[in-house]
Amino acid sequence: MKRILPFIIILVVLGVALTSAWYLTRTIPAAQNPAGNHPPSAPGSPGSQASPADQPVVNGVPGAEPAHTHGPENAPVKLEEFGDFECPPCGLFHPILKQMEEEFGDKLHVTFREFPLVPTHQHALAAASAAEAAGLQGKFWEMHHIIYDHQKEWSKQFDVRPIFEGYAKEIGLDVDRFKKDVDSDAVANRIMQDGKRGHSMGVKGTPTVFINGREVNFENLPADKLRVVIQNELRSAGK
Amino acid sequence: MRKVYILASVLSLLGLADALYLTIEHLTGQTVRCTILSGCSEVLSSEYAVVAGMPLAAVGAAAYFTVFSLAILALFGYRIAGKILTPLVIAMFFVSVWLFYLQAFVIRQFCQYCLFSAAITTCLLVIVLSLLWFRPAAQ
Repeated sequence: MKRILPFIIILVVLGVALTSAWYLTRTIPAAQNPAGNHPPSAPGSPGSQASPADQPVVNGVPGAEPAHTHGPENAPVKLEEFGDFECPPCGLFHPILKQMEEEFGDKLHVTFREFPLVPTHQHALAAASAAEAAGLQGKFWEMHHIIYDHQKEWSKQFDVRPIFEGYAKEIGLDVDRFKKDVDSDAVANRIMQDGKRGHSMGVKGTPTVFINGREVNFENLPADKLRVVIQNELRSAGK
Repeated sequence: MRKVYILASVLSLLGLADALYLTIEHLTGQTVRCTILSGCSEVLSSEYAVVAGMPLAAVGAAAYFTVFSLAILALFGYRIAGKILTPLVIAMFFVSVWLFYLQAFVIRQFCQYCLFSAAITTCLLVIVLSLLWFRPAAQ
């Protein structure tokens, strides 16, 4: 018996490890990458449990005004994202949110709040400043998109300023004004105001998403889950 | 000697749990949310997180399971297992040093799960080196 006991122990540990791995891979939802095309979860399926309805409504201090928004003010679903341009999951969430905006159209109102994670991300503040400086010329979203679309390229560089200035030129900004605005108090204040709002709402990481004031769990941010969350909110609003 | 093998098997189980968690994160496409304290997203989504098409964490899980198996076999008197354990743990330690270098100087972000694994491997190295130290004395 003593000769085979170690093999029994090893097999038991192997069995437990494999069973745990199998169980967890089934219960953790697969995140949808930009190229992925997961089928949407039907209402009533396990995915429909993905609702922030059990979360409390959070009312933080006001962020930067006017906020950067997309969609009609009276849309039944108001989504607010706290994002960091250098954060890889934020980069993955960017095309998902664009997809949701295309799918739900004027039923969705999106707000983006700056939440650069300094010092974890060395270029996050520069990226947020670039986006806000573009916003002062009315092209926040253009800069927002181009920064996220090229996240993997600029985030590895030592000096990102020339890259962002190149983006400014590409989207048709007055580059000289952009260079001044990046270091302006107006831009710094906007980022600070958004940060204060995030902290007052309990934001600890990025991306953090609120829908109609309720935080959406991180595991519900893949497209197939987020779609169900939005559908549930629309159903609650009777739309 | 028995206590040392028991300690090695417990440590390797902790390493196995850590590596399994990272493997599942990788296989399900999940990335850990970015926070002020953690650079896990950057580390786990980097090109170094995959080796020959396999998640590096899965290789780590296999290595920890092997260490566990060898420690258990050695505990029950299979002397050959104890002899294989030492070079394996030394190899794992060097891989950990390489991964630590990548985090510190290439990716420039630290992931606590990876650091935990490195700490476990370092402890295992101390254990197997202590075995080498005390074995001749015991004989």
